[in-house]
Amino acid sequence: MSHNPAIKGRAFGDRVLLGLVILLAIVMIAPVFFVVALSLKNNQELMVDPNSVFRLPYTLVNYINTVGTSSVFRWVLNSAIVAGGLTIFTLVLSSLAGYGFARLNFPGRDALFIIVLLGLAVPEQAVLVARHQIFSWIGLHNSYPGLILPGLSSAFGVFLMTQYFRAIPKELDEAAMLDNASRFRIFWKVLLPLTVPAQATLGIFTFLGAWNDYFWPLISATKKEMFTLTVGIASTQVNFAQSQGIGFLMAQAVFAGAPILIVYLFFQKYIVTAVSGAAVR
Amino acid sequence: MTAHIEIKDVVKRFGAATVIDHLSLSIDPNEFMVFLGPSGCGKSTLLRMIAGLESVDEGTISINGQRIDNLPPGQRDIAMVFQSYALYPHMTVADNMAFGLRNIGISADVISARVTEAGRMLEIGHLMERKPGQLSGGQRQRVAIGRAIVKEPKAFLFDEPLSNLDAALRVRTRVELAQLRHRVKSTMIFVTHDQIEAMTLADRIVVMNNRKIEQIGTPMEIYSRPATRFVATFVGSPAMNFVDATLDTSGTNVTARFAGGVSVETDIGSNQLGDGKYTFGIRSEDVRVAPVGQGNAEGVVDVIERLGERTLVYARLGDGQQVVGSDAGNSPVAVGDRIGLAFDGRKSHLFNEAGHAWHARGV
Amino acid sequence: MAEQLTLPQTATPAAGVRVPSADIYAPKWRNFIFVAPYLFFFTTLLVFPLFWGIWLSFHKADTFSTGKFVGFGNYIRLFNDKVFLQSIWNTFYFVGLTVPALALIGLFLALCLNRRTRSAAVLRTIFFSSSVLSVTIVTLIWRIVYIPNNGLLSIVYGWFGATAPSFISDPNLAMIGIAIATIWWCIGLPMMLFLSALQQIPQDIYEAAALDNANRWQTLRSITLPSIKRTFVLVIIIQIVLQFQLFGQPWLMTRGGPNNLTKPIVLYIYDTAFRRWDLGLGAAASEILFILILIAAMAQYLVTRRKGEL
Repeated sequence: MSHNPAIKGRAFGDRVLLGLVILLAIVMIAPVFFVVALSLKNNQELMVDPNSVFRLPYTLVNYINTVGTSSVFRWVLNSAIVAGGLTIFTLVLSSLAGYGFARLNFPGRDALFIIVLLGLAVPEQAVLVARHQIFSWIGLHNSYPGLILPGLSSAFGVFLMTQYFRAIPKELDEAAMLDNASRFRIFWKVLLPLTVPAQATLGIFTFLGAWNDYFWPLISATKKEMFTLTVGIASTQVNFAQSQGIGFLMAQAVFAGAPILIVYLFFQKYIVTAVSGAAVR
Repeated sequence: MTAHIEIKDVVKRFGAATVIDHLSLSIDPNEFMVFLGPSGCGKSTLLRMIAGLESVDEGTISINGQRIDNLPPGQRDIAMVFQSYALYPHMTVADNMAFGLRNIGISADVISARVTEAGRMLEIGHLMERKPGQLSGGQRQRVAIGRAIVKEPKAFLFDEPLSNLDAALRVRTRVELAQLRHRVKSTMIFVTHDQIEAMTLADRIVVMNNRKIEQIGTPMEIYSRPATRFVATFVGSPAMNFVDATLDTSGTNVTARFAGGVSVETDIGSNQLGDGKYTFGIRSEDVRVAPVGQGNAEGVVDVIERLGERTLVYARLGDGQQVVGSDAGNSPVAVGDRIGLAFDGRKSHLFNEAGHAWHARGV
Repeated sequence: MAEQLTLPQTATPAAGVRVPSADIYAPKWRNFIFVAPYLFFFTTLLVFPLFWGIWLSFHKADTFSTGKFVGFGNYIRLFNDKVFLQSIWNTFYFVGLTVPALALIGLFLALCLNRRTRSAAVLRTIFFSSSVLSVTIVTLIWRIVYIPNNGLLSIVYGWFGATAPSFISDPNLAMIGIAIATIWWCIGLPMMLFLSALQQIPQDIYEAAALDNANRWQTLRSITLPSIKRTFVLVIIIQIVLQFQLFGQPWLMTRGGPNNLTKPIVLYIYDTAFRRWDLGLGAAASEILFILILIAAMAQYLVTRRKGEL
C-alpha cells in the first residue's frame, strides 16, 4: 500500500495541511494564553519589563484583588438573573406558541404565523431607539424586567418550536384525544416531553445570547449596580492603559470569560448545534 | 360492551374533493367488520370519522341509537389502533396503557388490574417497564392493542395495523388477532388494503372503491359472488379472468362465445340480461387445464406459476386474450405447449358495461 | 337462478337543520390562548416599536417626548452629515474585509477538519471556542494584543528588533485591526456550517469517484465544492447580516476613531440617539440600517427556499 505514490502524496499533503491548521490554532489561542499569563503577573513587574510576562514568578494576587474589591460578583449575579430569566420565559412562551401554531387551529392562524416569521428579519437596531423611549416612559430602565423583556419578543424560539412540534407525528395527538386527554394535557403530558432536545437547543442559544448581549444592557442599565457582566467589564476597561494595572484588569477578564468557556467545553455539542442551527433556521 | 354502529348517508369533503359520497352502513354488535379497498378509496377516512378524528360534513353516525358524530373523540367510548401504533415514546408500556384510564379518573387499583390483565392476555407482561423504543415491531403492535383493550371500549378501530410488520410476523399477528376477537367481545372495525387479511379476519367485508361502497358481504359472498367487476378484480389472487364474449341468448341459459368458435354454456338465465355488451368472467380454479381436444377452448402456454399445491397456467387464446387456468401441483405443462382449457360454465359470471355482475347458480 | 346483487341504498338526507358534527381540526378562538402570551410580547416589544421607530424618524424627538413633526428632515440631515456617510462607507468596508475572509477561512478549516480523528475534534473545539465569548472579552483580548509596549504584538516584534504596526491608532490600520479581532471571534460559525454541509454529502459519491480514479484535487473541485455551493452562499449572507450590525468592537477598541474612520452605522446610531439624545435622527439612521439588512435577509430567504437550484 505505502508504495502507491498517490497515497504517499496524500499523506504528505495531509501533514502539510494539518501543520497549517495547527499553526492557525496557535494563533487562535495565543492571545488567550497571553491574557491568562498577564493576569498572573504582578503589575509593577509588568511596568518595568513587558517581557516578564513569559517568566516566573506568577502570582494570584490579581485574582484575590478581583474577588475582594470589584463589583464583578454583582454583575455576574445580574447576568445570571437576566439570562436565566429570559431563558425560562422564552422556553415557556415559545413552547406554548409553537404548539399552538403547529397543532391547533384558530382564525387567522396562518397569517399570524407568517407575520411572526417576518419578525425574524427585523434586526434589533431597527427597534432599539423606539424601545428605549417606550421603556423610559414606563420607567423600566435599570431594572431586571427592563433587561429581560425585549428578548421575549424574539421570533426565533417560536419558529424553532413550531418546526419541532410539526415534526412529531399527529397520530400521537389523535391517540391522546381518543384517550380523553384535553388539549393542554396533550401538550403537557404527551408532546412537551418529546421536545426536550429542542428545549435544550433553544435554552442554550437564548442563555448564551443574553449572557453575551451588549447593546441593550449598555443603553438600558446605566447604574453601576444594574450592569450586566459584559457592560460592567467593559466599563472598567475604558482607559486601561493608565488604570490600576494590566494584570488586575486581565484577571477580571479571565474571571468573566472562564465560566462560559468551561460551560462550552462541557456542553460543546449542544452549543454548536444551537448556534449553527439558529443561524440556518 | 359492544356497539351497534349505524352510519347514515355520510358525506366527507376535503375542500372541493368529495372523499366519501353519501355512504350508509350498519355494523352489528360484536361483528368483525373489515373495510377493504385500494389506497385512496376513503376507507381510512371513514374509520377516522367513526373515531371522531375527521368531521362529518353530512349525515350521521350513531352507536346503539345515540348519535356520536357530534361528540369529541374521547367521549365516543371507542379505541383505535393506529397504523404507526402512535405509542407515547417517553412513557413506559404500562403508562401507555394507563394514560387513557387516568384521564377519566379511574382508580389506580382498577387501572393496574386492567393493565396487568391485558399484559397477560397479550403476553407482554414482562415488558411493562420498557419504553416503546426498546420494543420490536411486533411488541409495539401488541402494546397498541393492549392500550385499546384496557379501555374496554364499545368498539375497536384498527387502521391497517399489520402493514408495518414483516411478512412472517404479519401472518402470525393475523392469527392472534383472530383469536383475540373471540376473547374480547366487542365490535371491531378493521381497515386494510390486503384482501387476505380481510378474508381471514372478517365476519363481513365492506369493499370500497372511489368514495363508495361496492359490496357488503361475508368473505365467501364477496369472493364467489362479487357484486361488481371491481370487486371481482380486487378480491382473489390471481384476479378473475375476464374475456370479451358475444352472448347467445337463444336458449334458456346464456351461451358465451369467444376466441374463434369457443362457446361456454353458462348457468345464467337468458331472460335475466338486458341489452348491451357483456364481459365473461371466471376464476382461475374454474378453468381446468386439459389435453388438447378436451375442454371447450385451446391456448398456448405463456407463463407457468407453480404454487406447490396447484399450478397456475397463463395461456393465450386464439384471439390473443389471456386466461389463467389451474392444474395439479405436479402439472407436466411447459411454456409454449398447446393445451386444452375446460371452462366450467356453472361457475361463471357476466358483467355489463357498468360493471354490475350476474352469477351462475353454481357459485 | 342467477341474480343480481343490489348495492346498498343510500338513505334520504334528514330534513331540517343538522347539528354539526365534532371537528377537532376546526378553527376555534379558544385555541388562541396558546399563542396569546407570546403574541403579547411580540406586538408590544417588536411590532409596536418597529412602527413607532418609523414614526419617530419623522420627528425631532428626545428621550421622553416625540417633539415636532419634521417630515423627511431627519433623513435629509443624515445624508448631509459627512460622519453618517462615512459610517455607511465604514460598514461596507468592514463587511468587505471580514465576510470573504470568514467564508474562505471557515471553508478551509472545515475541509481540513472534516474527519473523525481526535486531533480534528480538539482543533474544532479550539476554533469554535472564541464564538462563545462576549464582545467585551474579545475586544479586551485584542486590545492587549495591539497596545504598544505591553501588547503581545509589540513584544513579539520586539524580539526581532522591529516596531509593531499600531492597529488601534493608525488610520489606515484601525479597521483592519477590528476586522482581525472580528474574524478571530466569529470564525467558529462558518466553519461549523461548512462542516455540517460536508457531512451531508453522501459517502458513496466519494467511493464512486475513487473507483473512477479521481485524484484529491479533482474530487474537491468536482464533488465537494459543488455540493456545498448553497451553504457557501448562505454563509456569506448570514455573515453580511451579522457584520452589518458591527458595534461593540469599534466602540470598545477605538471609540470609532481615529477621525471617525472606524465608526459603523450602529455606532453612529448609538452616538446620535443615546449620547446626544437626538432620537429622531437616530431612528432615521436605524431605518436606513434596517433596509440594508432587510435586503440581505431577503436574499437569505430566497436562498433557503430555492433548495437544489443553487
